[in-house]
Amino acid sequence: MSKHWQSFGELNNTEAYQKSLQNEFKEDLPFEMDGTLLDAQTPRRDFLKYLGFTTAAAAIAASCEVPVKKSIPFANRPEDIVPGVANYYATTYVNGGEAVSIVAKVRDGRPIKIEGNDLSTITRGGTSARVQASVLDLYDGARLRFPTIGGKEVTFDAIDKELSTAIAGSVVILSSTVNSPSSLEVIKQFLAKYPNSKHVQYDAISYSGILAANKICYGKQVLPSYKFDTAKAIVSIGADFLGTWISPIEYARQYAKGKKLSAKNPEMSRHIAFETVASLTGSNADERFLHRPSETGAVVLGLLNAINGTAPNITDKKLAAGIEKAAKALKAANGEALVVCGSNDVNVQVVVNAINEAIGANGKTIDFATANNTSVSLDTDFATLLDSKVDTLIVVDSNPVYTWGDSAKVKNWLKGIATTVSFGAKADETSSLCKYQIPSHHYLESWGDAEIVTDHYSFLQPTINPLFKTRQWQDSLLKWTGSAIDYVGTLKASWSAKLGGENAWDKILQEGIWSTVATTATASVFASTGVETAKTALAAMPISKGVELQLYQKISIGAGEGASNPWLMEMPDPVTRATWDNYLIVSPSKAKTLLNIDLNNNGQSDSYEVVVKKKVVEITVGNKKAKLPVLIIPGTHPETVGIAVGYGRTAKIGKTVNGNEEKPVGENAFQFATLANGAVSFSVADVKLSLTSELYPVALTQTHNIYNTDQGNRTEVMKELTLAELKHNPNEVLEERMEELKPYTGLTEKEIEELEKEGKTEEFFDKFRHNGSIYKAYDKPGIKWGMSIDLNACNGCGACVVACTAENNVSVVGKSEVLRFHDMQWLRIDRYYSGNDLDNPSVVFQPLMCQHCDNAPCENVCPVAATNHSSEGLNQMTYNRCIGTRYCANNCPYKVRRFNWADYTGSDSFSGNQDEMNDTVLYMNEDLTRMVLNPDVTVRARGVIEKCSFCVQRLQEGKLKAKKASRPLETGGESKSWDLKVACQQSCPTEAIVFGNVNDSKSAVSAHRENNANRLFYSLEQLHVMPNVSYMAKVRNIEEEKTEHKA
Amino acid sequence: MSLKYESQLREPLVYGNKTYHQVTEDIIRPIEAKPSKLWYIGFYIAVALLLFGVYSIYRDVTYGIGQWNLNKTIGWGWDITNFVWWVGIGHAGTLISAILLLFRQGWRTGVNRAAEAMTIFAVMCAGQFPIWHMGRVWMAFFVMPYPNSRGPLWVNFNSPLLWDVFAISTYFTVSLLFWYSGLIPDLATVRDRAKTKLRKHLYGISSFGWTGSTKHWQRHESLSLVLAGLSTPLVLSVHTIVSFDFATSVIPGWHTTIFPPYFVAGAVFSGFAMVQSLMVIVRKVFGMEDYITMGHIEAMNKVIVLTGSIVGIAYLTELFMGWYSQSKYEGYTFWYSRANLFSPYGWSYWGMMACNVISPQIFWSRKMRRNLFVTFFMSVLVNVGMWFERFVIIVTSLYRDYLPSSWSVYYSPSVWEIGFYLGSFGLFFTCFFLFAKYMPVIAVAEIKYVLKISGESYKDDMANIEVKEAGEFAHEYAH
Repeated sequence: MSKHWQSFGELNNTEAYQKSLQNEFKEDLPFEMDGTLLDAQTPRRDFLKYLGFTTAAAAIAASCEVPVKKSIPFANRPEDIVPGVANYYATTYVNGGEAVSIVAKVRDGRPIKIEGNDLSTITRGGTSARVQASVLDLYDGARLRFPTIGGKEVTFDAIDKELSTAIAGSVVILSSTVNSPSSLEVIKQFLAKYPNSKHVQYDAISYSGILAANKICYGKQVLPSYKFDTAKAIVSIGADFLGTWISPIEYARQYAKGKKLSAKNPEMSRHIAFETVASLTGSNADERFLHRPSETGAVVLGLLNAINGTAPNITDKKLAAGIEKAAKALKAANGEALVVCGSNDVNVQVVVNAINEAIGANGKTIDFATANNTSVSLDTDFATLLDSKVDTLIVVDSNPVYTWGDSAKVKNWLKGIATTVSFGAKADETSSLCKYQIPSHHYLESWGDAEIVTDHYSFLQPTINPLFKTRQWQDSLLKWTGSAIDYVGTLKASWSAKLGGENAWDKILQEGIWSTVATTATASVFASTGVETAKTALAAMPISKGVELQLYQKISIGAGEGASNPWLMEMPDPVTRATWDNYLIVSPSKAKTLLNIDLNNNGQSDSYEVVVKKKVVEITVGNKKAKLPVLIIPGTHPETVGIAVGYGRTAKIGKTVNGNEEKPVGENAFQFATLANGAVSFSVADVKLSLTSELYPVALTQTHNIYNTDQGNRTEVMKELTLAELKHNPNEVLEERMEELKPYTGLTEKEIEELEKEGKTEEFFDKFRHNGSIYKAYDKPGIKWGMSIDLNACNGCGACVVACTAENNVSVVGKSEVLRFHDMQWLRIDRYYSGNDLDNPSVVFQPLMCQHCDNAPCENVCPVAATNHSSEGLNQMTYNRCIGTRYCANNCPYKVRRFNWADYTGSDSFSGNQDEMNDTVLYMNEDLTRMVLNPDVTVRARGVIEKCSFCVQRLQEGKLKAKKASRPLETGGESKSWDLKVACQQSCPTEAIVFGNVNDSKSAVSAHRENNANRLFYSLEQLHVMPNVSYMAKVRNIEEEKTEHKA
Repeated sequence: MSLKYESQLREPLVYGNKTYHQVTEDIIRPIEAKPSKLWYIGFYIAVALLLFGVYSIYRDVTYGIGQWNLNKTIGWGWDITNFVWWVGIGHAGTLISAILLLFRQGWRTGVNRAAEAMTIFAVMCAGQFPIWHMGRVWMAFFVMPYPNSRGPLWVNFNSPLLWDVFAISTYFTVSLLFWYSGLIPDLATVRDRAKTKLRKHLYGISSFGWTGSTKHWQRHESLSLVLAGLSTPLVLSVHTIVSFDFATSVIPGWHTTIFPPYFVAGAVFSGFAMVQSLMVIVRKVFGMEDYITMGHIEAMNKVIVLTGSIVGIAYLTELFMGWYSQSKYEGYTFWYSRANLFSPYGWSYWGMMACNVISPQIFWSRKMRRNLFVTFFMSVLVNVGMWFERFVIIVTSLYRDYLPSSWSVYYSPSVWEIGFYLGSFGLFFTCFFLFAKYMPVIAVAEIKYVLKISGESYKDDMANIEVKEAGEFAHEYAH
């Protein structure tokens, strides 16, 4: 081997060289050094340097106070925790009778994100906004932290001791629907100890009408399973099955299945909605017809008649025509049809059953063999209970003081009960009136099971040690029963016995689900005896002449469960786009007379839009009054107004309910609910509305709702068409796109014509890509991330919005900031109205996040290059480089960039600048609440821009996963396996969002674009910003072709 | 044949039978006298405004840009409106000094000093806005391209905001040099007249040892010409580049090729109006009617009506293109968001039209051009109008752009946003008052220069010479 030498010294290997090798510092050091380094003296000329350095260093060290953060490392690392790697536990979201199989993502012992459980045959991994937000409730500072007697903290032993004598006489357990077999067993054992005891179930949102009607018609007091996916024709009458009705996640998935169509198979289900106040379901319907709440009976009766061949007896011509249409569609579907109705009137539901029987739905789209256990309660049970004498009341997950129409009566009744025990997690309206408060665990801290539908079980397991001194209510009952084993013991024992061994129990805990449910529906025997009575009763029902009030649930707030959750309060309502508030919904034509606002008048509609303060109206029903601001929402019957329930909660359940006002937001609309015909009725006739001189600011996140302007129809933003149009000309969307892009291709009219003739559309778009810009278009090899959203599948439910907030640590800014248009959500769902009927327009939802443009206008305007493009097609944001000029936000045509207007996260280097923050922001910054933050995502400081990153942390994780397995990345496609799913995609119940590598021709996103090439469009494509999010045009199943569609 | 032809139409550039000494006395007097009560009142008001501005910025820096009412759709509002407005105002000085110098317009001498000072101060004010409007102003040095230890991480040379950094700083530097080099002979005059040691010392330092030798004068003249040559393209480039902030974007109402000339004309327009406002006050307060004459005011008014009409044509061209382009987005911005008086911001568009296009037409009348009150009122009105113009361009384009879903709620400024603007006035007038007190507001040396060819005393001296025949004069001169 030849030797390479650096110097002659090395070559000759002299002694001097050997010595010099020993010397570490060959060059002269700036010291006067006689001997060793330590004895060196500072030379005069370096003295000032040292002085300067030490002074500066001392000054810096002294002035930068570093906050002391205490953290304690694991002495011994727990076996199943790898720092920085998340664990996933299958468990179940439970809210009353509602149960959703989920997987909780746990990082370092903290559950931080809820994902849907793919193994569930009911939800297939879908979730809802409320499920997504439930993880924040775990860290809710307003949760009760210890058991109390009369408000004083006590130990569990003390309370058990006292209650062992206090529980006496007639004992009643009042709960919402309990769908857990083991819990029912616990209750049964407990009640067995007390002779005069019973279990009463009461649900705030009652389905009594359906339960009673099914008892009459089928002899089964259950909610059946509906199969929207097999229905070709769907008629919904006031049932918001995509938003809030019974099992919306399941129905949304089924419904979307029927709505999805491809170029090869352009067929889809047809949905006609009849409703009183604009709902998510009505907004998604192919056609919507409006009626008064008091007309519901007439509508179902008319529909039954129309199906039987007689004309409906309805004066409103539009409505009558709609009923005829619906009947025709239902009959044509030949059994693959379904009618659902949201009314709580037993007579109405009996007639609905008769309709479903007449169209042959029973056994096809309705399955009584598989009962849905969301609600089993009858309102009469609770009403009778209110009139009976009770000595001991144990309240489990129920809040009648707030949700029962006659709240005063409930309060009085509670006062007369000697022993009141509440297991409520918070000091809500009912539990704060109870003497003994024994807070139960959050579901993420609990054990349990739930029978979601007959023979389909979902299991709960704790994902974190209880944060507070709480005890699961089943354990309390078992203790008082005198049982030797605790709840988890009984659970394990019973399931191990049922499944045959502890291993099987472990397995279902891992999977979270155990199901033996049959997939095919079976018909039940229909007894028509009740139908005639119901028909006569309905025919005799008076139709109101005055204004009527319809109470409805918001997707986010429900019956008030979401009212203390900042994520849900700040989630824009899909229908009204409002956050934080309760309001009165009126139709545009009612607004003309009531508010003097004509939306057809540009000036008036402008000032209604741009001014955040809305007029306030006083609603009077008998002696009950409420004052609420008014929002004008098309799709509402002119003589009907709507109010959402769930507001006006007590401030004891959290600061958030105040929405930064002094008193809780909104009014309790449950007060208007009445007991009629054995069930709670959520509609009220003869309502008096009077305009007050007050104004009230409503925090809307979208103020303008129409993409058609006087200066032209902005079809580049959004494309929709009817099924008839699509069938007539499958390339309509494609042609429209080409028409819009023509001027930017550098081609002459003649050349374009030739390309069109030869069907070379690819070449056309290629020309557009290359000639639309002065810059060269480059190939983008490797991974290129892309998203595709099917507007036909998306129903606007907003699960993705909350999922995105949770995944990406998006700030909650509170009402006062949303009012100033400072909302921070990275993903929003734009809602547009189209069509000529302002009172009842077509609605389309468009989820919009950063489009990750290949030719992004935001990127080239940033003076410091803080936002730039990755080699994988991501438009990435470098927070610590951003100086906050906001130029990128201005130049974003999609307006998806969000600026940190203030120190929302407390991560700013300026201390003490949160003193002007609203309560919500401060709440989100508490140590407890911050436990929900995703450690993989930077919390953004004040003064920087942020936006959708395509969940880049998940992309990295997915890429690593593939890399470790030494195989290409998989995003769907033939193998159906996913290395990653972005948060919005994961949460979507309808699989409307598909994400993946578009350079992989076999990925799901490529397939999605390929299969729907004729519906594909990019929003604002003509700007040549080259977005990476494609949309599939919305198709409505309407017979007529809409001519006004073309601009 | 007379030796000198004197135009009957042109007015003298300096009134009164002034000698060189009188000129010096007239202009330097305010510097040597105690400030008047009026000066103190004005100065204290200006400082108070400045302090309010400083507090407004303190809030903005400590609490965040959320102190202003900007939002997710309207990312720029009063901040950038004020920036462009002040930069525009800062155009007149250089135009008067440089371009008029090159064109040998003698009348510029009466106003150039104050106009240049105004330019410097206006650019200083303008610079505040892009700096303090940053979300993280403490990171503002990121816009400086220099080899650094962050990678090295360079700036984005594609961004018009970066061009702004260069354009404004260059313009400021050149304007400052030009202004100061003109000041040197005058500062030396003040030094020479100084009676206290301190004054002598300070003015001595600031006049760089000027002795008034021929060599000094020669170099001074050359420098003036070179700087004039340098700054002439700057007059055009600065506002062109400012207009690129908008023109290179994709937002309808911004994405417009007409912007560079339109912005430059607008800048000259507003700059002249600002000079006019200040001149009318200065000549009154310091009694300088003889130096800043009606002729000056009229000449400036002519420029105002010219540039006002140019921007008027630009406005109409935009409207025409809004229709002719058949772009629905532009059509909406120009015809609905702006030209429609009853749309939410229609008032600002018509305010702009009324102030900038319609009302300056009054200056076609000579009588009006020479009316001090009308001149002053109009000069203020023009700057109000030009403020509206920037507001219209920025806010009405942003608040309703492409996606109707993102259309904004009504934007009106917060008290701290207004405070920042008032603070910039404070800064401007504080500087201006100090300038007026400590420096000659009129270029003494240059006035003396025009006095030679246009002053009354010169004419008197020349009178007995001019009666002589040319041959006679030559004969005498030869002896």
